[in-house]
Amino acid sequence: MKTAITLNVNGKEYPLEVKANEILLNVLRDRLGLMGTKYGCGIGECGDCTVLLDGKAILSCQSLAFTADGKKITTIEGLEHNGSLHPLQQAFIDEGAVQCGYCTPGMILSAKALLDTKPDPSDQEIKQAIRGNFCRCTGYTNIIRAIKTASEKIKDQGRKQT
Amino acid sequence: MSDKTYYFLGKDFPRKEGRARVTGREVYPSDVVLPGMLYGKILRSPRPHARIKSIDFSGAQKLGAVVLAPNDTPQEFFNVRQVSVPRSTYKDWRILSDHVRQVGDPYAAVAAETEELAEQAAEAVQVEWELLPAYFSIEEAMAAEDNLIHDKVYLQDKEIPIQNNIACTREVTEGDVDKGFAEAEVIVENEFVTPRVYHCQVEPRGCTCRPEPDGGITVWPSTQALHNTRILLGQLFDIPLNKVNVIRITGGGHFGSGIHTNPVILITVALALKAGKPVKILQSREEDLYDHCRYPTRYTLKIGAKKDGTLTAGQMKAWVDIGSHHVQALAFLGVLAGWWHSLYRLPNMRYQGVAVYTNKAPTCAMQGYGAPQVTFGVETTMTILAEKLNLDPIELRANNYVGLGEIFWGQGPTIRSLIHSDGVKELLYTGAEKIGWDKRPDPKAQSGRLRRGIGVARGFHTSGTGAPVPGEVKDFTTVQVKVNEDGSIDILTALMDHGGGTLDAAAKLVAEEFGVPFDKVGISPADTRSTGYDVCTHATRGVYCGAGAVLDVAQDTKKILLDYASRILNAPADSLKTRPDEAENEGIIYVEGMPEKNITIREVAQTAMNNDWGTAISARSVRKVNCPPAYTTFFVEVEVDMETGMVRILRVVAGSDAGTVINPALAKGQLEGGFYRGAGMALLEDTDYDPKTGQLTNRGLLTDYKMLGAVDLPDPEKFEIFFAHTYEPTGPMGAKGIGEAALNPVPAAVAAAIHNATGIWFTKLPILPEDILRAVREERKRDGKKAPGKPQAVPER
Repeated sequence: MKTAITLNVNGKEYPLEVKANEILLNVLRDRLGLMGTKYGCGIGECGDCTVLLDGKAILSCQSLAFTADGKKITTIEGLEHNGSLHPLQQAFIDEGAVQCGYCTPGMILSAKALLDTKPDPSDQEIKQAIRGNFCRCTGYTNIIRAIKTASEKIKDQGRKQT
Repeated sequence: MSDKTYYFLGKDFPRKEGRARVTGREVYPSDVVLPGMLYGKILRSPRPHARIKSIDFSGAQKLGAVVLAPNDTPQEFFNVRQVSVPRSTYKDWRILSDHVRQVGDPYAAVAAETEELAEQAAEAVQVEWELLPAYFSIEEAMAAEDNLIHDKVYLQDKEIPIQNNIACTREVTEGDVDKGFAEAEVIVENEFVTPRVYHCQVEPRGCTCRPEPDGGITVWPSTQALHNTRILLGQLFDIPLNKVNVIRITGGGHFGSGIHTNPVILITVALALKAGKPVKILQSREEDLYDHCRYPTRYTLKIGAKKDGTLTAGQMKAWVDIGSHHVQALAFLGVLAGWWHSLYRLPNMRYQGVAVYTNKAPTCAMQGYGAPQVTFGVETTMTILAEKLNLDPIELRANNYVGLGEIFWGQGPTIRSLIHSDGVKELLYTGAEKIGWDKRPDPKAQSGRLRRGIGVARGFHTSGTGAPVPGEVKDFTTVQVKVNEDGSIDILTALMDHGGGTLDAAAKLVAEEFGVPFDKVGISPADTRSTGYDVCTHATRGVYCGAGAVLDVAQDTKKILLDYASRILNAPADSLKTRPDEAENEGIIYVEGMPEKNITIREVAQTAMNNDWGTAISARSVRKVNCPPAYTTFFVEVEVDMETGMVRILRVVAGSDAGTVINPALAKGQLEGGFYRGAGMALLEDTDYDPKTGQLTNRGLLTDYKMLGAVDLPDPEKFEIFFAHTYEPTGPMGAKGIGEAALNPVPAAVAAAIHNATGIWFTKLPILPEDILRAVREERKRDGKKAPGKPQAVPER
């Protein structure tokens, strides 16, 4: 049996029919072609599949697609606007926080959920925010630097706008 | 880091793949989707050691699945690792076998139109097993006379009998060991044990294969070795190599797990050929945990020295539990001797290595390839020796290391070369100053619950496996460099970048050589039909051998370009120089001493095309005849909780001698990442098996494979990195490697810091909190003090 739902992903509405046991990760990747959201373990341990659901970082491999009906989903593909990278994306490149890059989408989205609620986090708060995102390459140091750099940049942009 | 100034080297630019990776547009093996593709599922043994008595695929076939049994695959023996030359290659693998040798060993596969259907089909396959005795320790395995894990193995093409599950052995002797020990005034001997760490690359391994109408195949695999995969596929499936196309695709991490052609690749290809359709298999994380892991080691190490610290002799006997298959353990046994012998001058040495099959996941290369294992024992022994001789551990190291002008053979006894650059003393002394070595605590003077300690360890990795005389390991890279008609440049090579910045380094070297802006140098997509052989990106060879080959070929291409320019400028090619014009985004060629006489590379390339002179292009293979040691030194400060056994890492000072540093931010990232993985090996990571079921005790679940996380590591400002001021004369613009050297000394440095805090040496990794508590209790019992861990306020019942 399938349920009719509407997923709002990166500002675009997708009417879909999903089975009760369909996982959000698979719907995003296999049905919507949004391959930036990654599979790493399937049991909620690695954080590769992180997306934002109404602004909160969640694990899409642990979420049934129908539970996201009508909610706003942001994937990594939704961060770039008119060809400009989000400050987090730019900072990850500039600070050498990207090595193989497989964990990068989930890591950036966890960081975005943090900065959206806490624009000026401490090192400890950053570490807590990404503790569910596992990176095997970097040792996290440059990732923490990148998140700090992005936080500064977002604050600067905010000051210029006001 | 050399003191020369460059346009691009030593400066940070946004990495070329950066934008794709932060926007989710990088395509990894798990992202490959082809029209009409089937999904494959591998059937894996639930038993540690068994033979198939009967197998019934009818349930799967009823579901419309394509099925693959062992006898559908070629039954010739091979080795998945093709880095060694044939005469040194042991062969015990078949794509699928009815004799399974570990839980998780593949024995069949199915493919269907959806992943769900493939899983249902896999579940519908019925197997009757004949159970065989299984062996989970070296002792059990070596005691076995029959029911061996492998009864025959081939060395090149010669069948060799296997006895007592011993896969292979290796001995290396230099000098006169007995005489050396007789001359020793102090001898230190210990047994060291290192864990079976899982690579845990973030993307589980996978593959997609499309059979082509001409009988060929196109393959998108998780691999570090494009050309070795091509050659093995051609050989096993009897396809001419000009019809086997293996595509370079970014993997979500490798760390050595893709130097060999992983079984999933071979099974995917076999399924696709049988189905006549594209097939994709992505291993689950659980399957991946049974697919590969780091070589664990157990070894005794005995070293003798004179009172002044001069080493006189050494003896090592090593046992390696290699698991169910041979991923070239002979080479591994060779490097164990090599890493040891090349750390410190040892006039007399005797080494024996034994590799033993067990019914566990196959072991393979992982960052360091035996160096972290050996460096742990050697560096621990050096500090113990220093204490016994009342010498500063830094001085003992500075006086005995293998350095400038000496011969070393890190990659094993057949790969010997001369050392041309050496920043070891700078690493030791600068690091000591930065960490405050002279103020490190005295373990005997500490009391209280929290104890602080500082430890040091040094090490190295070879930059590749090149040497003047070819040894057991292949090492060369083929490159094409082409100047386009707009003055941009394309590099075409099968060299791979695993995230460390190898291909960015190649592009920077080319930009520097041609004098063109960095953005004008591109890395072409690569596959095996359009590129020449490259051995693979392993052994810290990426920058020195791989990017070094790119630079050599770029120089050939530049000669052609300057010849064209000399015709236009009417000046001899030898008088021409190049420089980048960043404002105009052009490369400029000018006459030395007459800068006004100049022309852009764009104009030269266009003139050459319009006059039918040709394209400035060249291609060839380059072998480096050296593999210089990339040295590193780590100083680590920890805090040990004597009541819980928990170790907190407070501070790290990491020094690297990489010669000219090409990508500073990415090089630092290598050291930070290497530390993280090394500290995990020291404090946490291992995989063990339940002998009752033959399963991993974590049952393949990441939940119970614990690694350090962001919260367990020091804050960025407590992680200091510096580079030695060296220039490698045989390297590309003075560069050598860094990658694996970034991990090799780390477990030893962490163990030394724990010793400095607690006064206790730990010779078995990982050093778990319970190990620390147990050792502290035993120590106190011996000293007649009250054991810690029981708060004194609680009365005894």
